[in-house]
This record gives sequence, C-alpha cells and structure tokens, in this order.
Amino acid sequence: MDLEMVSYLSKLGKLSFTDEELQKTAEEMTGIIEIMDTVKEIDVVYDAFADNKNVYLNDLREDASEASMATGKILQNAENSENCFVVPKVVE
Amino acid sequence: MDITKLKIREMRKLLDNKEISSLELTQIYIDRIKKYDGKLESYITVTEEIALNEAEKAQDIINSGKAGELCGIPLAIKDNICTDGVKTTCASKMLEDFVPPYDATVMEKLNAENIVMLGKTSMDEFAMGGSTQTSAFAKTKNPYDINRVPGGSSGGSASCVSASLCAAALGSDTGGSIRQPAAFCGVTGLKPTYGRVSRYGLVAFASSFDQIGPIAKDAHDCAIILNAIAGYDRHDGTASKLPAADYTSKINMSMDGVKIALPKEFYGEGIDREIADAVMKAAEEYEKMGAVLVECSMPSLKYAVPAYYLISSAEASSNLSRYDGIKYGHRSESGDDFNQLICNSRSEGFGSEVKRRILLGNYALSSGYYDAYYGKALALRQRISAEYDSIFENCDMILTPTTPSAAYGVNENISDPVKMYKADICTVTANIASLPAISTTCGYNADGMPIGMSLVGKKFDEASIIGAADAFERSFEYKAPELI
Repeated sequence: MDLEMVSYLSKLGKLSFTDEELQKTAEEMTGIIEIMDTVKEIDVVYDAFADNKNVYLNDLREDASEASMATGKILQNAENSENCFVVPKVVE
Repeated sequence: MDITKLKIREMRKLLDNKEISSLELTQIYIDRIKKYDGKLESYITVTEEIALNEAEKAQDIINSGKAGELCGIPLAIKDNICTDGVKTTCASKMLEDFVPPYDATVMEKLNAENIVMLGKTSMDEFAMGGSTQTSAFAKTKNPYDINRVPGGSSGGSASCVSASLCAAALGSDTGGSIRQPAAFCGVTGLKPTYGRVSRYGLVAFASSFDQIGPIAKDAHDCAIILNAIAGYDRHDGTASKLPAADYTSKINMSMDGVKIALPKEFYGEGIDREIADAVMKAAEEYEKMGAVLVECSMPSLKYAVPAYYLISSAEASSNLSRYDGIKYGHRSESGDDFNQLICNSRSEGFGSEVKRRILLGNYALSSGYYDAYYGKALALRQRISAEYDSIFENCDMILTPTTPSAAYGVNENISDPVKMYKADICTVTANIASLPAISTTCGYNADGMPIGMSLVGKKFDEASIIGAADAFERSFEYKAPELI
C-alpha cells in the first residue's frame, strides 16, 4: 500500500500520522492487504436475500414513552457541563 | 483448604451452610488481588468498596434463605462491559475517564443475582488483539509464566480466573477473544451463539460478531453463568427471542453415541504438532467414552482469517467513528477547527492496532474496493456457514484446537500484525457462522503451558458442548499455575 493510499484512508478515518508513522503504517498495511488479497482467489458471490430473509421490519418494540436518563448522569462524562455539552469554539 | 480454588457450586455450598460469609469470601479475593495482581496486571480497576458493600447485601439474602446460584460469588467483568458508575475504559486512552451512566443488560442480570463485582479486567484496546499487550493501562501476564502473554482480547478475565483472583469472569468474543485467552491460561471459556446474550452495554467492536460469554474454572461454572445472562433483551435488536435453556442440563451427560466431527484442515499446516496431537488425544478419550469420531472437511478455512478481518474491521471503522472527543472520551488540547480537533483527539486517543483496523475497514469499504473485499468477505461468510451446516448434517459437534500454538513470550509477535491475525485461524469461523463454541484445557506442552481444545455446537445448542466439555474435564488431570 503506498503512502498516498494510507493518507487517503487516514483522512477518511480522521486520523493523522507523522511522516515516520505514515511510512511504518504503509509497510504494515501492505503485509495486511497481502493476506486480505487471498479472498480474490475464490469465486463466490454474496446473496443479500439469503442474509435478509429472516429480517422482519415490522418486528419492532412498542412505541411507548419511557422515563429518560437523568441529564446529570448523561453529562457526567462531558468535560465542562452547564446542563449541556460544552465544546471548544470551532466555528470560524 | 484454599477456598479460591473451588468451583462456583462448591463456594455456594459453603456460603449456604454458613461455613464462610460472603464478606469473608470477598475479602480473601481482595487480599489475593493485592498480593498477586501487581505482577499479573489482570485488573484495570479493582472495585473494593463496591465489592464489600455488595457482599454485605448478598449475605442478607443468604441469611434469608433466598440465595440463587451466584449470590455472593465474586466475579470480574471485562472492561468493555458498561457498569453504572464504574469506569469502563476498553483499555483505551480514548475512554480513560469514561463512567457509564447505565448498566449493560448482562450487568443488570448479574446484579439481580446479587453477585459481588471485584473489578474490571484488562483487555486488548477495544478488544482488538490476541495478547492483551495493546492495553493502554495493564499489559496482563499469563499466570503459568509471567513472561508469556495471557492471550486476548479477554486476557485480563482469563488470567484472573486462572490465578484465582476471582471465581469467574465475563469476557467478550468477536473472533476468539474468550476462547483463545481461556486456552492460553488453562481455564474454560464459552462463546455463546450470536444473539443468545444481549450486547446492550457492550462497547461495540464488530456488531455482527461480538458476543458476551463466561470464563470460568470449568464448563459447569460457565453453564451457571450463562443461565444468568442468556435471554431476549428488547434493547438489543439482534437478541434472539428463542427462550433460553437450562445450560446445566447436560452436565454429567453420557458421550455414548455422540458424533464428534474433526475437520482435517484444523489439524494440518500452521498448527503446532504438540497442539494437534493433544487435541487428537482428547478425541481418542471421547472415543473411549463411547463417542463416534467423524472425519470431515472445511475447504474454505484458508479464507476465514481475511474474511473475518475484512468484515470486523469494516464494522469497527464505522462503530469507532463515534469517538470524536466531543460528547465523551479523550479530547485533544489542540485543534484550530472542528475537523482538526476530531482528528487530533482520535489520533491521540487510539493506539496503533485500533488505527490499523480503522484503515483496513475504510479500505474494504472504499469505492472501487468494496466488491473485491467487503462483498467477497460477506460471500465467504455465507460459504463458511454453509460448510458448517453440511458438517452438522453428520455430527452433533465439532472438535478443533483453540489455538495454533500455546502462549508465546510477551515481546513476541506484538510488532507483527500479520502473524497475530493468522493466529486467529482456529476461532474465527465460529463467529463467522454465529455458532456457540467452548474451549477447555486438554493438555500441557513441553514448557508446561496449557493447550486448549474447542467444541463447536449447533446454533443455540450450548448445552451439548457444555456437557461434552464437562465430560472431558471430569477425567482430565488439571495442573494449576504456581504463582510466584
């Protein structure tokens, strides 16, 4: 896998690497893709119907209101909460 | 008598007969954790105060004569299972300070049984790995040799069960993460059928494979825990509505006439000779018990590892996109705009193996590669499931090695992801085909390290593989680790 592809995939995954890390990652990903390439040897076709024939879209739980989780509990992991998620100013 | 060496049902008798109190039992485990876990590093968080409070409550129930099988039993929980008010880190810097505001369904069920939670166990980061050496907080060691890995990703759970730092534990299994560490640490681990145990509150890695299950000293104890956690859950759309069974129903079963298939591909190239020999010897033991051995083949096994990694990484790359440093999880100190803040938070919060899986998942799902990789992997999933169906037409269960080798050194393989991935060959097919599988110890290699064998069952037939594992364990000469 070349550096350009690793950079592209990193951008998709919102990850950043130093030049040195990028080089190492490209080498590791090349080895990993070599194993993945073995799936190309076999002639098989995915049958989406077979996977989805037992999925019943009407098999849903009752649409009933339930007690909500306490706001304070939900916010306990937010870094700076004033009864809401406080985030750094990122809009320019 | 060392009470920590006892099985759950033996502890139950002592508790019910008032030969020991729940508080005394809990304190013995806490003392052992303090004594040994500095070297083993099997726990990320020890919940001593919670455990002692829960032990007091359990004792009240025992005194009232209403104790169930797990009441007052000290258990450990893998650190990717949400515990209300107790840190759940997934062994990642990304979730270093995350305190869940709710319990996973399995925790609700165990708490209803009045268990005692001793703490949260270490694991590979986000359950991605087979060594527990990718943990950001506790690189767990193997109790049989602290210079070797305990396996993974549920390495903390397997190690602390093996070292008797808890009576039993919960793990999770996406591609072998319960069975492989159970094999490395000489204990018993059960991956239930996909959908048998609710995944609600299990931090998602690969949602179509993930499944919670028990790691315990033997198959009977695994059955007792499965009885407590199995069943439908309306919070998990993939939970099965099929009623849960009594998973202890085939304990002490006769193996007479039971057909056990041995797929030849699991015993050939890439499997250490002493591993294959030990499992074949176990097959002969079953034959002596009256079982019928059946030869069979799984031609697509050689494609199982890539199919598994393509699907699981694709799902992981999607599941892990929620970690943006905004609502919870690690947030970077730097980042001049929205995208840079997210990018910095993720790059600082995730470890190398997690990043590789995200890259692989993105690759498999990318335009131009989707059909060649992800689509092909889905087709292989169907092919492998069909091969299992075909094998099960002529047998009751399948016997394979759990791992290609015994536990390796803590510094071996870690820097070679390809080698690590290939080592999952014996376990991933059960996840691919959604089947139940149990690993139990069947021997020890020349270095004294445990060797595991796996029994794979038909969907929702956990009781039969538990019964067969129990049948073997009853005559197996178990060797406990000698802790330093």
